Order: sequence, then structure tokens, then C-alpha cells
Amino acid sequence: MKRNSQQEELLRVPVHMKLHYRFPAGAHYDKFFEEMKETGKIMGVKCPECERVLLPPRPVCGECFVRTGEWVQVGPKGTVVAYTSIYFPFVDGTTGKPRPIPYGAGLIQLDGAYSAINHILEEGDPEKLHIGMRVEAVLTEEREGNIGDILYFKTIEE
Amino acid sequence: MGKRAAIIGTGQTNHCSTREDVNEMELVYEAATAALKDAEMTIKDIDAVVLANMELFEGRALHDMWCGEGAGALLKHSFKISTGGTSGTSGAISGYYHVASGLFDRVMVVGFEKHSDGNTSAGMALTDPFWDRHIAAAAIGNFALSVSEYMADRGVTEEQSAKVAVKARRNACNNPHAHLQMPDLTVEEVLESPILAYPVRRLEMCPQSDGACAIIFASEEIAKKSCARPAWVRAAVTRHDHIYLGEVKNRLTTMRSLREAAKVAYEIVGIREPLKEFDVAEIYDPLTYAEIAWYEALGFCKDGEGGKLIDNGVTHMDGELPVNPSGGVISTNPVGASGTIRVAEGALQIHGMGGKRQIPDVNLALVTGYGVYCWSDVLVLSSKPG
Ligand SMILES: [Zn+2]
Repeated sequence: MKRNSQQEELLRVPVHMKLHYRFPAGAHYDKFFEEMKETGKIMGVKCPECERVLLPPRPVCGECFVRTGEWVQVGPKGTVVAYTSIYFPFVDGTTGKPRPIPYGAGLIQLDGAYSAINHILEEGDPEKLHIGMRVEAVLTEEREGNIGDILYFKTIEE
Repeated sequence: MGKRAAIIGTGQTNHCSTREDVNEMELVYEAATAALKDAEMTIKDIDAVVLANMELFEGRALHDMWCGEGAGALLKHSFKISTGGTSGTSGAISGYYHVASGLFDRVMVVGFEKHSDGNTSAGMALTDPFWDRHIAAAAIGNFALSVSEYMADRGVTEEQSAKVAVKARRNACNNPHAHLQMPDLTVEEVLESPILAYPVRRLEMCPQSDGACAIIFASEEIAKKSCARPAWVRAAVTRHDHIYLGEVKNRLTTMRSLREAAKVAYEIVGIREPLKEFDVAEIYDPLTYAEIAWYEALGFCKDGEGGKLIDNGVTHMDGELPVNPSGGVISTNPVGASGTIRVAEGALQIHGMGGKRQIPDVNLALVTGYGVYCWSDVLVLSSKPG
């Protein structure tokens, strides 16, 4: 598709960047990940006005513009509300490396939560995925206190 | 209500996958000088310059520093807008606001992106480090999730999606600036292209392009004096929505930010039947399924009937409301410029300067911008100042 011809090759400078950041989690993420690491519980936070249970947990309900209130345990079972199978080696934002393909991904509405969370599905075959299917979070044995502590969501029969 | 403002000139580079022959400043300069020529102005006439670009895609910060001089911003009032996909439309809205405020008479907006310089997928992965990064699959993964909901909810088919791809790439053949020009593309070929993220196929997605686009806004007095058919900005509306993908049910189906922005814009201009009243639409279609969903969100048809519009050719060049005579974002996508191109193409149609992609007698044009599902821009351009 290159339509702007060039007479000669111009210089190109390859640059590889390794950058280091330390992001502060804030009180809500801190509690969420600490709870999941220590007890394996997935916790949402409830808005006192609209009563939606939000994930990720956060200090403010965007709909009501008020501080969120009590913590509520959600999941670990939930319902797939959207799904896909990824066939393209996208960069994993946590490692900077492509994730092995293909793999399933979904929006999972955990029981008791208003928001759906996007995460990996154990099932990667789009023929075996459908909206409304029931899944359950599978956590890692050794948990580090990040969203990767949920390994994936496995298909369950009920 | 602000003062009247109109677009009196536009300019674009030729967009393609890799512009090895220029750096970003040169790319910006090409578009800026083309727009100045179109408006019969020199850079001395310009009071303010707005730059639009998506940060991180090129792996560089402060694009105003890298490219500002190429846009003629030296010692002028200058701003940069960086809102992902809507950078270009929001940049144009900013240019409009500058003139509508009465503080500036001639404002140039330059949107640009040089995807080949950087790593778009890495840029897209730099979302919420606690929540999204672990499973980020660029824009396509998020789109694919929403498409599964949309297909289930509205019954839109793979064939209807493929028809949008064919329309876009064939329209692009009439646009000398377009990146993907495919005169012989068929529905079958689209459906045979590899799946990137089920059910989204390669030929259903927008490309990554190198390119820039500039627009010149002018006050009423100057526009009337210097342009035969100014494209008057009659409405410019932005709406933001929740940022987490799972926070809005059926996001593609509902697309609250676009629906709300359109509703407000239509109220401002007094539009009741958009399909009948608009002569042309240049909408930000990041993938085929989104274009069909936007038909519904923009009120071209009832919810669930978007697929029928493409089946019946309603949005083709010879249809009741041609959508994206330029080929759209599916054919050309330098992200920071993609929205600016929509505005420029809408203005070009009103100027009557669309060449082979000109729709006859355009008096009212709809333009939209789209940013990472979370926000939308809607502009209405008219041959009449209102
Ligand atoms: Zn609330």
C-alpha cells in the first residue's frame, strides 16, 4: 500500500525502552487485592444511592457522584455476558510479551455484582462459548495481590 | 450560544501504512500547507493552532514540541488535544470553540498520527494497570466482546458486517487520499479473511495508517468574504461514558455517549428525521459492526434495523444517506487524524469539492468521532449559517 515512493532509504533508529513505574493502588484496589490474596474472596463495593455493586471497586460512583460505601462479596461464580476468542498475538500489558493464542476472553458478571469484569476464559473454542453460560473463577495457589491471581474462569454445569 | 464559525479550508496527506519518506513534522507540514492553500491563506493569517494526536502510539511525548513548528504554531496560541479516537473530532471541536468564543478569527486544526513510527498495540495496552492490562487485547479484543453481545441482541449477521467492509473499501477508490482502496473486494473475501478476535476478521477492522489532516475555521465575517460555500458548524457535542468495559450493559448496542451526543446535536439544529434530513454522513467506524450499530445509535433507523440499511443499500453512494463516501476509518486510520478527516470530508462535501466522492447538492452533513468506547463526538455541518 506504499504509494509515496522514495528514491533512497532514509535512516531509521531502533529504540527499545524498558521503563519502570510504581503505581499507587489507592485504598479500594489495595483492599480488593489484599482480600483476594489472603482469603480468595472477590469483593465489590456498593453505591449507597443506586445500590449497584461495582467492579473494579472504586471510591466514587460515576452515576451518582457520591462516595461508595460497604464492601460486598461477589462470585466466584458468574455468567458470561460477552465473549471472544483471541487469534492475534497481542501484547500482554503486564509482561510486554505476546500471550499464546488462541485463548478465550469474556465479560463475566459475577453473582451479586452489577459490573461485568473482563477476564480470560478457560474455554477458547468460540463454538463452545455462548452468552449466558455459567463460569467460576479459578484462583492461583500462590497469590501475589493482582488481577492475575484469577487465573481464568472455568465453565461449570449447574 | 457562541458566534458563528465555518470551515473554509481543508487539507490531507495521502494516507498509507508507512511514510518512510517523511518524519512527523514533515507529515504535519504537508497537511497544514494543503489546508492553507485550499483556504487561500498563508500561515500569517492564522491566529491559533490546535494539534490532535494520540499519545504513546509513536512512543514519544509532547508532540506539540516535535511537530508544532510543522503546523505553523511558532509564537502562536496553540493547544494539543489527545483523547484517543476522538482526538481529531475533539480537536476540531476545540478549533470551533476558539472561533465561536469570538476571541479568535482564524484557527487551524491539525490531526496526525504516524503509526509506523511506534507500537500501537503497546500503546493500547497501557490502560488501568491494576485492572485491564493483564488481559488487554488492544481495541480488537474489546470490540469483539461487544460484537458478541450486539449480534446476540440485534441479530446482525456476518454477511451484513462484510457488506460494510466492501462498501468502505470500494468508496475509498474514489478518494485519492484513502489508504485501503479495494475496487474488487467481495463479501466472500471479507468472510474468508483471518479471524483476529472471534468473530472479527482482519478485513472488518480499520488499518493503522500514517497521515495528517488540517482544517481551517473562520469567523462569520471572514468565512463569508473568503469562501464560496463555507461549511458552517451548527452543532458540536461531546459525551463521555463509564470507562470500564463491563460497566455498561450491551455497550455497542446502547452506545450511550453517541446516542446522547446525537440527541443533543439534533435538538440544537432541529433535526427530527436524520436519515431524510442529512445529505451525507462521515462517521467514525473503527470496524464494520460498529458502523451498523452507529446507524441505530444515530437514529438512521429503529434499533435492530441497522443491518437492513446496509442490505438495502441505503447508506451506499447512491442511497438515501451515503455514509462515508471517503471510505471511512475502515479504509484509512491515522488515529489522531481520523476524526479530523471525518470533519474535513464532511466540510468538503458542503464545499462541493469532493471530486469523485462528491455527493450532489450537500447542504447538511453529519460527522462523528469515537474514542475507546467511552466517549463520542457529534458535529453537524451545514451550507447555511443558521
Ligand atoms: Zn450510584
